[in-house]
Amino acid sequence: MATSRLLILCWLGLVALSITSVQLGNAGAGLLLAAAVLLVALGKAWLIADGFMHLRHAPPLWRGLLLGWPLVVGGLVLLTLWLQRGV
Amino acid sequence: MSTSPDGMATHDCMDAGGRATQEAKAEVIFQRPVRHLPGDLAMWFFILAELTVFALLIVTFAVAQALQPALFHASRAALDSSIGLALTLSLLTAGLFAALAQEQLRRARSRRGAWLLLAALLAASVYVWLKLAEYGHLAAQGLGMEHNNFFTLYWILTGFHFLHVLLGMLILAWLALRCWRRSQVADDAALESGVLYWHMVDLIWVLLFPLVYVLN
Repeated sequence: MATSRLLILCWLGLVALSITSVQLGNAGAGLLLAAAVLLVALGKAWLIADGFMHLRHAPPLWRGLLLGWPLVVGGLVLLTLWLQRGV
Repeated sequence: MSTSPDGMATHDCMDAGGRATQEAKAEVIFQRPVRHLPGDLAMWFFILAELTVFALLIVTFAVAQALQPALFHASRAALDSSIGLALTLSLLTAGLFAALAQEQLRRARSRRGAWLLLAALLAASVYVWLKLAEYGHLAAQGLGMEHNNFFTLYWILTGFHFLHVLLGMLILAWLALRCWRRSQVADDAALESGVLYWHMVDLIWVLLFPLVYVLN
């Protein structure tokens, strides 16, 4: 697939996921919805890292670091939300 | 490329001129695409450092929220998620144009690349305009940094990110100028690094946006 076409597809995916994220947030509160929102954010991060940044061609270490960042940060955020329910 | 039963490639990868390219040779030897890290290594270390700082800020925000969930929920109501979505879309569109520009420059179409970088800057300007409007609106309501913990962290987190957006725009503008003058177009690493910085700004926002604007 031509790179330009791939980039535009990534952008369309990012736009769709962004709108989905807001809709999920407006759907109400709750840990499951929050997890869904964070999962969407992870999907967007993947599209940016692999698509825009071309990391799908990069050495596994760097790709892992850049994909690991939203995973770890998102995971920690989810953890705080989960712990919050017990407070 | 054909493969024999033991999985090894059995003939050279030839281009139209009949000469095997270096990459194709490497692919034959290593049996996988050659891995390549775009941009300068220095920029990647810088990106990692920035991501670390923002990770700390984001987690701080999340922890503060967990300690005062009612306050954060009520304060978040002062923010408009539609504006947040518009901010997101403008950053993402700028990212698309920057990535497309990089693609054009790889094909030595420097003028086209310059125009695309300019388009990226325009999209980023929408972000700046919306953000300043949001800041002004909040300030007018007295919802400044000292109002409560939510707004202290909101201003710090989004403000710090805003500074990065401005720096990213300066970098894109500088790249656009270089491309327009068609000077050092062959300096792919510098261009890739500059565009990567912008994508990092996008990447950070992708986590910041749901946390600050969306999550209840």
